[in-house]
Amino acid sequence: MPLSAPAPTNPALAGIAPTDRHLLRALAQNFGLVLSWAVLVLAILIYCAIYYGQLGTLPGNFEITSTVNNTMPLVLSGLGQTIVILTRGLDLSVGGIIDLTNALAALYLGDTLQSAILGSIAILGVGALLGFVNGALVAFGRLQPIVVTIATLSIYQGLAIMILPQPGGTIPPEFSALLVNSGAPWALLYCVAFGLLWMMLRRSRLGVSIYAVGNDPAAATANGISLIRTRLAAYVLSGVASAGAGLFLAASSTAGDATTGNGYTLTSIVAVVLGGVSLFGGRGSGIGAIAGALLTTMIVNILFFAQIDPLYQSFYEGLFLVLAVVLTMAVGRLVKRRRR
Amino acid sequence: MTDPIPVVPPAAPAAPPPPRPFLGLDAERRHILYAVLGAILVFAVGAAVRPGFASPASISAVLLVASFVGLVAAGQTFVILIGGIDLSIPSVLNAAAILLVTSTLGDDSRAVYGITLTLAMGAGLGLLNGVGIAILGVPAVIMTLAMNGIVEGLMLGLSGGLTCQACASYAPPVVQAAVHGSLLGVPLAIYIWVGIIVIVSIVLSFTTFGRRTYAIGNNAVASHLAGINVPLTTILLYALSGFFAALAGILLVGFGGQASLEMGTPYLFESIAAAVVGGVSILGGRGHYLGAAAGAVSLVALATVLQTMNMPEYGRDILYGVVVIALLLAYGREQEGA
Amino acid sequence: MIDPTPAAAPNSSGPAIEGIDLVKAFGGVVALGGASFSAYPGEVHALVGENGAGKSTLIKLLGGRLRPDSGVVKYYGQPVQLHSPQDARRLGAATVFQELTQFPGMTIAENLLIGREPRGALGLIDRRRMTAEAAAILAGMGLHDIDPGELVEDVSLAQRQIVEIVRAVLAEPKILFLDEPTSSLVEREVEWLFGMVRKLRAEGTSVIFTSHRWREVISIADRITVFRNAREVGTFTTISEDDAVSLMAGRKVSAIYPTLPPKPAGDAALAVEGLSGNGLTDISLTLGKGEILGVGGLAGHGHRELFFTLFGALKPSAGRILVSGKPVRLRSPRDAIHAGPGIALVPEDRKTEGLLLPMSVKINLTLSVLRRISWLGLIRGRDEQARTRAMAESLDVRPPDPGRIVGTLSGGNQQKVLIGRWLLAESGILLFYDVTRGVDVATKHEIYALINRLANEGRSILLYSSDAEELAHLAHRVLVLREGRIAAELHPPMTSEAIVSSAVRDADAA
Repeated sequence: MPLSAPAPTNPALAGIAPTDRHLLRALAQNFGLVLSWAVLVLAILIYCAIYYGQLGTLPGNFEITSTVNNTMPLVLSGLGQTIVILTRGLDLSVGGIIDLTNALAALYLGDTLQSAILGSIAILGVGALLGFVNGALVAFGRLQPIVVTIATLSIYQGLAIMILPQPGGTIPPEFSALLVNSGAPWALLYCVAFGLLWMMLRRSRLGVSIYAVGNDPAAATANGISLIRTRLAAYVLSGVASAGAGLFLAASSTAGDATTGNGYTLTSIVAVVLGGVSLFGGRGSGIGAIAGALLTTMIVNILFFAQIDPLYQSFYEGLFLVLAVVLTMAVGRLVKRRRR
Repeated sequence: MTDPIPVVPPAAPAAPPPPRPFLGLDAERRHILYAVLGAILVFAVGAAVRPGFASPASISAVLLVASFVGLVAAGQTFVILIGGIDLSIPSVLNAAAILLVTSTLGDDSRAVYGITLTLAMGAGLGLLNGVGIAILGVPAVIMTLAMNGIVEGLMLGLSGGLTCQACASYAPPVVQAAVHGSLLGVPLAIYIWVGIIVIVSIVLSFTTFGRRTYAIGNNAVASHLAGINVPLTTILLYALSGFFAALAGILLVGFGGQASLEMGTPYLFESIAAAVVGGVSILGGRGHYLGAAAGAVSLVALATVLQTMNMPEYGRDILYGVVVIALLLAYGREQEGA
Repeated sequence: MIDPTPAAAPNSSGPAIEGIDLVKAFGGVVALGGASFSAYPGEVHALVGENGAGKSTLIKLLGGRLRPDSGVVKYYGQPVQLHSPQDARRLGAATVFQELTQFPGMTIAENLLIGREPRGALGLIDRRRMTAEAAAILAGMGLHDIDPGELVEDVSLAQRQIVEIVRAVLAEPKILFLDEPTSSLVEREVEWLFGMVRKLRAEGTSVIFTSHRWREVISIADRITVFRNAREVGTFTTISEDDAVSLMAGRKVSAIYPTLPPKPAGDAALAVEGLSGNGLTDISLTLGKGEILGVGGLAGHGHRELFFTLFGALKPSAGRILVSGKPVRLRSPRDAIHAGPGIALVPEDRKTEGLLLPMSVKINLTLSVLRRISWLGLIRGRDEQARTRAMAESLDVRPPDPGRIVGTLSGGNQQKVLIGRWLLAESGILLFYDVTRGVDVATKHEIYALINRLANEGRSILLYSSDAEELAHLAHRVLVLREGRIAAELHPPMTSEAIVSSAVRDADAA
């Protein structure tokens, strides 16, 4: 016997047409993601306004290109961190993996574009291996991610310095041009590509498993999802993403530096949080992390052009982070309450 | 009983036997024992590799450095015990060092004022962390990470990147003496650390505050339903962490004489590693500062041994990480068997 | 007396599922003491009985959620060893337990179709088609007002339960286990479920379900097995409600309950006026000094919320609470503990809400009286040791060792430790929530005697129990809660049948 005709569950939505209601609901279900892009757009507008106020023109090709190029490593490491955080984990070894892959790039990419591309693929493989070590310790060893990845961070950082004690090595200029072309913000295409890759992951079996494990590990097991394989895959993907970040860093600086990645450990977490991903796992989107990464760079740009003393930069970044999280949590609670 | 359907009557319910103690010690004490044994082992290996490593002078040098790690680890232990973490200690430590020199300008008569002000700053910053975490509900990783940035920015900005005139001041001689001076051949700073170890251990093991800490770390819901003020205790614990970071900053600047940048950076991971190696569970509720202190000594001794073996720094980093993982695997398996 | 029509096998091709002499105990508490059961293809078989009578345990054993201590489970005549519900699934069974296996942050469509999502280009999940497919499935089952695009955490518990049922049915099981499937459903949702069940029966599926609601049971079940005291008591094709209720409630002799002390007339230690919020509506009651006030009814009808609100752990939206005649505002358990003579709560789940399992008896006992056993913050070790040992001995905790880790004690002893905490705190108003659940028979009796002794001493006790028999004999009077309201107040002489039928019948009259 069929039950009664559909009615909106929330009386506040009663007067709204179905398609609009669906849009509202999509907004509510993804408000972290939406908020992060909204704030990014706002930041871009503020940046343009300040830039115009200072220099009389809008930011041009150079500014946009360098902003995007500088953000690429954070975009990648943020995506990797997102995957791990979605499974209720954490990867503090991101900085170490970037260090090590950056050093490897400086030494082994060769002189030609072909050798660089081949070398890159190999280096991505190294990243996968480093991630596999993390994943194995967490999934099989059943150790806590935060302490495992602190230890592997130390190991990977040490390995990086071992193979490249001083900044040096060479990066073929064609490789740099391929990744971080300084002529125009072509790197945005990479962002789009990564976004597409994310959406593909989201729609794959692995993607579903990642969200399931982060939502409720017990329910995941009951549904036949392997906790071990999912967690392992998450850390491997994070390793590959961090390796990619190391390659982009190498491309941006024409030489390698075994300590260049250290800041990315904590900054990748910031990008993830600013992207609306929940630190408790199971909720959030990599697309948000991309916005979070761009937002992080935007804040630096805004502070620069607003002529804030660069020494105070961390202060504003930290303040912004706290306010962003508190605001997101408050909005989230409001949204949930209205929908009930 | 005239119940027509007899239920299988259980005998007086036999409680399951307690886990087998090792040397009569429970798991928590065992971990402390391991950490201490580990420290001794490292010294023994070091002495074998480099005669003279186990000399009093050498041991006290190690203990001195370990005391700095140990002080930071004290605060870290407090917050880890309730399942939290403090990522703000690098900049709080650094800011404390700078505040001390700029407020005392190397003058002993202002030492008390400077020290009090600095410790209050550390506690105050920690308090803010605690409020954000306990009342606003911000996850500890984010709150303390953000605080780290906030304090670092303020510190750099207000001191002009450490270029202000007062910034090059020295720490007051009395503070320097407290670190460098020695009594019976042992550096005073070690006495200070031992005193801290005693106090913190007493607080954790014998006070109501310590009891509440362990209760919350074990089961915050049950603690709340037993009438424990969970938010207040949380805030106090983070305040303590800030306090100890500031204390470490004071002693470090007494040790080095002047303040510098990035003073605190290595102490973040070291303090966490020391606690974990010492048997403090990152999930909270288990572990003791004695273990973290022993862990600090072990790790610093290990690093020093490697240094005297002329192993380059990267080798130390690698071995460090390997040792921590090996210990974690050993501890982990134990907990499952227990 | 009972004139049931005993069950004959519905058809001769052998049972689809059988349980033979199944025994399951949890730490000294026998949940199932050698029960046998069988169900045939194309049969709808109901298990009824009070909470703790064994029906849930049986279903979990048959469905692979638990492993039996002894006894055999057979599927289609073959003995099987089930290690998980997945094993049962592979044998063609589907289970719907009360613990839902859903993902709160994912949509209903994702939850329904997990593992079998429709794929589109590049082998990737086609989300739009997934939602459409989910909508089609739901519509095909007659569920038009469940929106598959909603997140699981945003829909009601009833809808979540329906989704769980749909998921089980989607697997086209030959055996379907439903544990309390209707506990959160309203009448028309229950009718939907039974329509589904009838269809499955016509297709030859065995459906085994547990329920508290008599009208539902007789409307759908081919056979009914009654449980009491961890055993099946009989299987019938027809039975009247009266007969069933008396079978369920049993005729236990009052001798195992202590004689109730006379209720002292006097001031109300605790009074509640018009309490509302969190699912409660307009609750008013008074609890006198030395009185034992029972609270009965089916689980999930507001009992937990009432107890938590009275302890300051939940905020009411309206109403007043008066302790010793004075209105109080309870903003946290701390306020409750210090209000007047002191309110104490022994919560439902002692393992997650009450005790610190890895810590000692001593620490657990003194958790609420830390100030009293300390001096300037320093714990007086010997004082603590002496007091806790005395308390452990007076409650006959076995072993009475204050240093013993609470997690190693049996359930009954654990419960005594939890009660002991509040005795040490000298609380005058005790809120006991299902204080004998999961406790062995011997300890239950000790707790009954303790409750009596406490009332005699002048303490006031609010007692919720899922065992109506207990309430009938332990309490001076009983309030029955139904759907957040007080449905009835019963006075002595009280019988468990009265309580059960008050809760059960009134629910049907909804």
